[in-house]
Amino acid sequence: MLTVRDLTKIYANRYDTQAGGVRGVSFDLPTGTFFTLLGPSGCGKTTTLRCIAGLERPDSGYIGVGDRALFDGARGEAVPMNQRGIGMVFQSYAIWPHMTVFENIAFPLRVAKQRKYAREEIASLVEQALSTVGLSGYGERPATRLSGGQQQRVALARAIVHRPQLLLLDEPLSNLDASLREEMRAELRRLQQQIGVTTVYVTHDQSEALAMSDQIAVMDRSRVVQLGAPRDIYFRPASAFVASFIGGANLLDGTAEAAVAPGQTGVLRLSGGQRLLCLFPEGATAGAALSVAIRPESIAVGAGAADGDNTLRGTITAASFLGGNARYDITVGDIALRAVGPAETMLDTGADVALAIPPQSAVVVRPTEA
Amino acid sequence: MSASGLVRPASAPASARITWTEAIRHEPRLLIAAVLLVVLGGLMLPPMWMLAQDAFTTTNAAGDITGWTLDHFAKLTRNDRALVSSWNSAVFAAGSTVLSLLLGGVLAWLVERTNAPFKILAYLATIISMGTPYILHVIAWLFLLGRVGPINEAWHWYTGAPDNLLNVNTMWGMILIEGFLWSPLVFLLLGATFRAANADMEEAARMSGATVFDTLRRISLPLAMPAILALAMFVFIRAIGGFEVPALVGMPSRIYVLTTDVYRAIVSHPPDLGYAAAFSVVMVLIVAVLLYFYSRLSRHAERYHSVTGKGYRPRPFDLGRGRWVAGAIIIGNFMIVLVLPLLTLLWMSLLPFLRGFSPDAFALLTLKNFRTVLTTPGYLDLALNSIGVAAGAASVIMLITAFAGWIAARRGPAGRVLDQLATISLVFPGICLGVAVMEVYLRVPLPIYGSLWIITIAYVIRYMPYGMRYVFSGVLQLHKELEESAGVSGASVLTIARRIVAPLLTPALVAGWLFIFLIANKELAIAVLLASPGSQVIAVSIFDQFVNGQGGELAAFGLIWTVLMTAIACLFFWQARRGGSDVFGN
Repeated sequence: MLTVRDLTKIYANRYDTQAGGVRGVSFDLPTGTFFTLLGPSGCGKTTTLRCIAGLERPDSGYIGVGDRALFDGARGEAVPMNQRGIGMVFQSYAIWPHMTVFENIAFPLRVAKQRKYAREEIASLVEQALSTVGLSGYGERPATRLSGGQQQRVALARAIVHRPQLLLLDEPLSNLDASLREEMRAELRRLQQQIGVTTVYVTHDQSEALAMSDQIAVMDRSRVVQLGAPRDIYFRPASAFVASFIGGANLLDGTAEAAVAPGQTGVLRLSGGQRLLCLFPEGATAGAALSVAIRPESIAVGAGAADGDNTLRGTITAASFLGGNARYDITVGDIALRAVGPAETMLDTGADVALAIPPQSAVVVRPTEA
Repeated sequence: MSASGLVRPASAPASARITWTEAIRHEPRLLIAAVLLVVLGGLMLPPMWMLAQDAFTTTNAAGDITGWTLDHFAKLTRNDRALVSSWNSAVFAAGSTVLSLLLGGVLAWLVERTNAPFKILAYLATIISMGTPYILHVIAWLFLLGRVGPINEAWHWYTGAPDNLLNVNTMWGMILIEGFLWSPLVFLLLGATFRAANADMEEAARMSGATVFDTLRRISLPLAMPAILALAMFVFIRAIGGFEVPALVGMPSRIYVLTTDVYRAIVSHPPDLGYAAAFSVVMVLIVAVLLYFYSRLSRHAERYHSVTGKGYRPRPFDLGRGRWVAGAIIIGNFMIVLVLPLLTLLWMSLLPFLRGFSPDAFALLTLKNFRTVLTTPGYLDLALNSIGVAAGAASVIMLITAFAGWIAARRGPAGRVLDQLATISLVFPGICLGVAVMEVYLRVPLPIYGSLWIITIAYVIRYMPYGMRYVFSGVLQLHKELEESAGVSGASVLTIARRIVAPLLTPALVAGWLFIFLIANKELAIAVLLASPGSQVIAVSIFDQFVNGQGGELAAFGLIWTVLMTAIACLFFWQARRGGSDVFGN
């Protein structure tokens, strides 16, 4: 449905060469996908979104919806943004303060060039959009008298009222407070599935991305570093960056003891000398310098010196009680690790512990680039 | 004493009988506020009182008050002179407001929100016009549109008729020239509005399918409308108080507005002070009412700014091929606001006597006027006088408002009163303030009447509100916690002022100083009644020379002066941008 190929947009910058923008971004989405661009600020996710919207003109690449090219760098074609037929929700919502809620939502219908909407048609479409977002009866309200959550709903109604093929959401939840954010997250996902519109969602919040998306593209420094379903991204991170950005995995350096075939387990010798059985999704040659990513919640923290398979020994240097669980900072030789355990049986600072790590949860990744 | 409170402030009983020394120890700003109240009260209130007194009293030949009367006001209504000049003022101010909003507004939108070329020219014109005395512009336009000006000359040559195509000394001429004068300011202020506008609002409209024109009509303009109305009100008020254009363009053909009517009453023999004062009171009331509506409008304008987004780089509209039309508009404006007036002044300065553009006139070109200006000591004295008076006034104002603005912005003791005292002179049109200050210092037993001191004092009163606004908004930009954390660290109020506030406020103070310095050298209206032959300032001297027909020398001098002031104006814009403070209206 949405095709983006080799999208490149580089910003000139006085100070250095790494100036943001996007480089060679490609993806292809089937109809109805909820697709999330996830990454830290400045990674290029918003630029990608704005290029799709037509708010920025890419330097090169191709953007198309279905068979229709919205931007084709090779042929120098670019459809003006007002003819792309895209719905978009801005981070600030951009609710026009001089109009009522009704007028805000009716705007895309009123300015439509392809066809004229009759007055009754506009009224019914706006009412439909209002009820879809749960704001029936708010039409005559001045836009300045809305709460943050209501503004967000109005912005959404405005974006979907003209039945776009593509919906773009630019960090729409970042201006809401935490409880409302959780509520709107579920609501947005429900709405998207109800309408079935292909959606591109930009966020820097990994839990939003994991909870809502069909597909996630993790971006870092202007490039897509991993593209996949939420579970893949979480459990099979492709790089050290993805592992630490999503879920805050522990990253330990080591070398492969022997050659390992892709998708098999093998032994990684850690920098402290410990041997750890790990999963090598991409395989490795003997002696290759690699990193292993281990999620804090995958580590079973046990008191005492009970030995077992794939177990490291360490000492708790800090223990924090978080209510639902307990978080430990642990040193294993000169390696620092973070682990999570049950709160009921919380261990004390200074305790010697055994850390059992299932090989399937110790994923070998490319080490962080210097 | 109730026993219910578990926690009770230990000092509560002592505060019942608090002494002054203790109060000052707890709130040292009280002392500063008290000093400021005396200084500001002494400066700002006497002119108001004097104007009212003159308007409502009769005096004998010696100037002593002999009784209360409403005669002066009765005289205003007796003939239609006052009515005519009021009507003229209204037409003049409304016309020039509309014209300057059109010129400056279109320019501001093109420069700030589109991809039109040659944007730099708009800024250049604004900076240079900031440094040029209004009166030089007026003189240049009088020549351009006047009898021997190129337009009428071309008309004579083309038709062979002796009649003029244009007569500049009409209401139309006045409106045209005043409109040109104000358009750079409108450009500056509306430019700030367009720049601050949330670009998401426009982009959301474009994403909804709207064309550039639809977006402009349905979103951009309605959103900017409160700001535009407020600015229109502001320009209208300033045009009501404008003096240069009515004096030079209107008076020769007996078109009087409120300001020139007051001026006429003062310079007539014998001076009709009662009439001038009564008329001034009427003007002050009109302006006060307008200012009230202005402040309501601008508050309304700010309401639309409540919904803001993240600071993404603003994306200008792509005008397509229309951008070359836009470029032509920008160049046209640049010609009107800057190139034509300056070329005219250059032409005037290079001729031994005033005449129109013609091939044979080129043979007469000479640098004699420049030589005279540079070698006559009188011109140097004049320049030094002007610079000294403006710099002195700017320094005094910034010193006072640095403290007053800080206390007012932080809601310190007497903050509201200080704010109102410092900004009260906004209601005075320049000419009325001139009358009032003249009256005050005629009667005060200080030997400053007819000296540069009285002009300095008038400037201080007149421009105090601008200093206040610079400091006020400068302080509001500083997070209050910066001061509070210094206080918690153990710093006294004076230490906070010296070590925290002053350094952080310096950009705003410098920008305010430069602004007042520039505007004081630009305006004619206040000083025109206060300057005497021994104590001249630039604008008044140019006015006198023009009236006496010394066009060449004044043009040469004016050009040199403009270059100097433009350099300072560059400094101002650089400083204002660095300090992040807004550029306020003049």
